[in-house]
Amino acid sequence: MTELLSFTMNGLVLGLLFALVALGFTLILGVMQVINFTHGILFALGAYFAFSMQRYVGFWFALLLAPLLVGVVGLILERLVIHRTYGGNPLFGLLLTFGLATALEEVIRMVWGKTGYSVAAPKFAAGSLDLGFMIYSKYRLILAVLALVVILLVWLFLEKTPYGAIIKAGASDAEMVMALGKNLPRMRSFVFVIGAILAGVAGVIAAPIWSVRPTMGTAILMPAMIIVVLGGIGSFWGSILAGLIVGLSTSISVMFWARISDIIPFVILICVLLFRPRGLMGEKSILEV
Amino acid sequence: MGSGTKRKGWATGPMWGVFLLFALFPYMPFIGKYLSLGTEVLIWSLFALGFNILLGYTGLPSFGHGAFFGIGAYAAGIYFLRISKGVWGPLLLSVVVAGVFAALIGFLVARKRGIYFALITIAVSQVFYFIAFRWDEFTGGETGLSGIDRMDVGLPGLLQIKLAGPLAYYYFVLVVFALCTLLIWRIVHSPFGKVLQAIRENEVRASYLGYRTAAYKWGAFAISGLFSGLAGGLYTLLINAAFAGVLDWTQSGNVVMMTLLGGGTVNFFGPILGAAIFIVSRDLLSAYWESWMLVYGMIFVLVILFIPSGILGLIGGRKQTILR
Repeated sequence: MTELLSFTMNGLVLGLLFALVALGFTLILGVMQVINFTHGILFALGAYFAFSMQRYVGFWFALLLAPLLVGVVGLILERLVIHRTYGGNPLFGLLLTFGLATALEEVIRMVWGKTGYSVAAPKFAAGSLDLGFMIYSKYRLILAVLALVVILLVWLFLEKTPYGAIIKAGASDAEMVMALGKNLPRMRSFVFVIGAILAGVAGVIAAPIWSVRPTMGTAILMPAMIIVVLGGIGSFWGSILAGLIVGLSTSISVMFWARISDIIPFVILICVLLFRPRGLMGEKSILEV
Repeated sequence: MGSGTKRKGWATGPMWGVFLLFALFPYMPFIGKYLSLGTEVLIWSLFALGFNILLGYTGLPSFGHGAFFGIGAYAAGIYFLRISKGVWGPLLLSVVVAGVFAALIGFLVARKRGIYFALITIAVSQVFYFIAFRWDEFTGGETGLSGIDRMDVGLPGLLQIKLAGPLAYYYFVLVVFALCTLLIWRIVHSPFGKVLQAIRENEVRASYLGYRTAAYKWGAFAISGLFSGLAGGLYTLLINAAFAGVLDWTQSGNVVMMTLLGGGTVNFFGPILGAAIFIVSRDLLSAYWESWMLVYGMIFVLVILFIPSGILGLIGGRKQTILR
């Protein structure tokens, strides 16, 4: 029983982390219609930046600075090339970012080396905490809380600020938003940067529980894509729900039949798509035209 | 279908040119000695031609076709090691198994377009990578399958051709490639192929003409899966092994790249040119520089940005592309 509890907790933590990555991915996909293959690289860069600067500035500053740096990288990528793919065939953006991601992964190898590093959890978060019903790793609890806070901030931003309203309007009718005098290119850059920062934050907080290695970006991209399709493209709550489903099912299946743990998210995805073609919470959107 | 090649409409001048070029390749100065590279070009050309039925002719952006190549590769290996040694058996199983899976996945995606189509093909194709990795009794897991030799082919007692040597296998693959190229040519120029092109241009209009477009897209998906699987089976026989690497999603990216680079969206022969350039330059780059993936990624970006209609599109002066 305690075993099931700890696998469930691990699944929840994993799910929140997945949801964080998927949220940025689905935001960029929903607003700009770009399947952003560099999203995994941005996640990896978050982890690497934090790894490199933690020694000097400590955990909290790294948590703040590394995602901002990732945001800058995201802005450069978007302004330099990715913005050219807006409004094109989805294959255009997909292939362009696929090429970019391949090149950038190699850059990571050149800068930080081919082998991975393990990152220690910050001192204040080492060890475990007695929750009353179970004893659980302190760092993973902090991770979960951080992920929840960031998710909440994104929700507040999208739902409660005028800028969030413009972004949502831009996702459903870009031309109309332009006609109303809003600066659409700037808004899109902004959305891309937000997505990049979300990936960066996830990378920073994931670093201590996974090792930091060049392929970590590619490794997170696949769950993110599954989650986005499973939850429904462009759906905020869909991403969170699907993230938790994928995290929990992966983690709990390890306990019963370890070898299907990688496959179970795909099985769930296929079953859901057969009955709900737009995913759990997807709505009919312009993406289908 | 041998005698059918004499009929008009079965093959054009450029096609005979391509076949002749490949037939003479082993005897060309300097490059002729890289036989297995030539075989690899033929195999990937076949894969890309099959894939182009979907991308170039139907306009469907599948980013998961590496799965069918990989399924074909494993099917050939498993047939050889578990059922019976041979050449035809493994290749037949490659085609059948890849075709069945392509039909199943095609059923799932046939009603989709655009981003949904691309994302679902990516996601679903990855399941096979994990299966290859985890089901080790069947697929050899991380070590993969090895010891898949090339046996002799021919009629018992009459004719025996030893495929073990690289030259014999090159010509064997060339024959398979030529037959499949003719077949694909016929498919895309048939009434069925015309409907696919109509779907590419305007699916709604095609459906108003009374065509059940989802069924046609399903058909295109399954057919392109068959050829991809055959290419995978040929690849297993080339390297005498099958690894999970053949199911990696970069394979799916590679075949898209080859098809676009050569100009598959504007010319039937584009995928062949693209595959040749891709395989040869990858071989050269990886031999000279450890970080060749950087160059590879950058070239990918530049091609997509500046010559999206591919080399044959550039030469033919055709700017139109499915990318924009």
